[in-house]
Amino acid sequence: MKINKRYLEAAVFIAVYLFILYLWTLPFQGNQMPYGEFDAISHWGLADFIEQTDRTFIYLPPFLDNLYGGDNQFKPHTLWYHPPFHTDLAIISAFAPGRVVPIFLTNAIFATAIIISIFFVIRNLYGFLPAVLSSLLLGFSLRDIMPYLWGQWPERFGYAFIPLALYCFYAYYTTYTKENNKPIYLYLAGILLAVQLMIHPLSFFHSLVGIFVLGIALLLKTRKLPLNWKHIGITAALFLILFAVFPYQSGNVIKSFTQDSKREHEYPSLSRLFNWAPDPKDFTGSVPESYFSFRQMHGLWTLPFLLIGILFLAIRRENRDIFLLAWLISLYLILHRDFIGKFFFLHRSLSATAHIFVPITVIGALSIPSLIKLPGNYGRFLKYGAAILAVALAFVYNFPQAQSTLEAAYASPLARLNPAQLEASEWLKGNLNENQNVSIIGPPWQIMQKADWMASFSHRTSFFFEGFLTWKTFNENREETVKYHLLNDYIVFDYSDIALLPDKGLAEELMDTLRKRNSLAIALLPDKSYNGMAELWLEFEKQNMGNHALLYNNKNIRVYKHEG
Amino acid sequence: MKAEMKEYMGMGIILIAAMAFFYFILGLAGMVSVLGIFLLFIAPMHLILDNFELSRDEKMIFSFFIGVGVFPSLAYWIGMLISFKAAIIISFVILIIAGFLIRRHLNKDMGKEHA
Repeated sequence: MKINKRYLEAAVFIAVYLFILYLWTLPFQGNQMPYGEFDAISHWGLADFIEQTDRTFIYLPPFLDNLYGGDNQFKPHTLWYHPPFHTDLAIISAFAPGRVVPIFLTNAIFATAIIISIFFVIRNLYGFLPAVLSSLLLGFSLRDIMPYLWGQWPERFGYAFIPLALYCFYAYYTTYTKENNKPIYLYLAGILLAVQLMIHPLSFFHSLVGIFVLGIALLLKTRKLPLNWKHIGITAALFLILFAVFPYQSGNVIKSFTQDSKREHEYPSLSRLFNWAPDPKDFTGSVPESYFSFRQMHGLWTLPFLLIGILFLAIRRENRDIFLLAWLISLYLILHRDFIGKFFFLHRSLSATAHIFVPITVIGALSIPSLIKLPGNYGRFLKYGAAILAVALAFVYNFPQAQSTLEAAYASPLARLNPAQLEASEWLKGNLNENQNVSIIGPPWQIMQKADWMASFSHRTSFFFEGFLTWKTFNENREETVKYHLLNDYIVFDYSDIALLPDKGLAEELMDTLRKRNSLAIALLPDKSYNGMAELWLEFEKQNMGNHALLYNNKNIRVYKHEG
Repeated sequence: MKAEMKEYMGMGIILIAAMAFFYFILGLAGMVSVLGIFLLFIAPMHLILDNFELSRDEKMIFSFFIGVGVFPSLAYWIGMLISFKAAIIISFVILIIAGFLIRRHLNKDMGKEHA
């Protein structure tokens, strides 16, 4: 039986993609509790709120407004991003059972969509082998995996549109003649750019710069300019129609882009022109230093192949080579936008490096045989040999790091909500009005994401209280605290993590985290232990909550109504 | 027609394989989520893009990337007026009808050209 080559190629790519998805879904395969930093909490909560309440909204619900009310600078108290990304997650959440897996899986598919778009573009330009190798290597890219785990969800997806927008522009440009042309590609470029803007504006600007550089490069190479005002007009109209669908969010993009911020006046030194990555010191505390290292993110073994690839493309300069080089140059420009005073989210653009480095690295490896004159079939053997070598090196150096990062992500029970916190959140959601405030006294601030996850799960506003107890400010500021924070609040005392502490390993792990962060709480605790904090909360509860109604008491979590 | 049938069969096989895979690693929720992504984001846009001169893989890829922007935009605004779940169904129906209308319109135009 003869198997169609096209089907075979499709089957190989699907096997590779499913393998990558298997890896990227490791964090929620065994433990289906939600996880992630503050960004992840807001993205999940927003999508879940739409699905659970069965409605969409213009003005933010109180639990989100509490944290993000000022993020839309054009129209405060409305969504800061365009709604489609979160609505997508909500749609799948409404379609499939459960509150966690549908949203996290849809996000994993969105975050790995760059693998699909890279495969598609490289296959159409360079053939199957470079495309499938690029997809595989990209699946192990730590610079993609890390922000995915932290919670920069829409941005991850936004990057997948860059190669597609460039491809459509390229297809239109290179096939254009006055008599025969394919305007559909230009229209698709306009639509894709508009959708990309709705997913994440940062990647949209990257596409614009890419199209500009590619246009100039193709103009220099082909010496033709496909200026057709009808095509350009229709494309602009399609873009503007979609741009106008969400005026508040589009207004926010314009306002944010044109604003003057403090950091934007700190111009870098000229030496930075010779570095791809921004200075890690500028991002201490928010992004680990390893994120800025080529060696740790891509693996040093890729560097020679990357350089060979760039050299090979620069010497050959076919239209498709110009495509990749223009994309590379546009990434360089984007990563040096601080020279024109645009510092905002600079480090985030660094997470797009693998998307262009990897295909050029693969092309570099596969081009080696063509650089050497070999008799007969030897060139072909060498090409497949180079492909096998690249896969082997990726599995030896990149895969183990990618797998361990994904497998170990948020594995500690202290990093995710426990069943007691989940039940309490469900109770709050079912028994309190949307605009009633909840104050959570419990998890130490080092794991205060839990309080935000509880807010997200319950869709109720949550203020987090721990500091005023451990720092002994309550007694000094009692009246103020009651007046501004506790009066008419629902107070949650959460001892559920303390229940985990008979496990000494976990207690030590938490205390280690506190020590590493030079926590002030450690110095002030009576017996310098986590249980010491619990004693403070218990004492506070006994002294202050006796006269207030106890509404919920289950699995070491108690909820009171604090009445004036 | 035969090529079209083959294409749909190919898509069906891919979908079934992906659903089985996600059922295995994430259970029913994983399987149904993948079905939802295909059915709501890809299928309606594919019906629309199928009317234009694009290669098979182009139609498939662009359907997904445009579908994730157009479908939720419709559902979001309709969801302001009625239940969100009902808005999802109505958005799906609108896009399916749009696909058929575009096909009919283009067929008419082609008929005029041939006449």
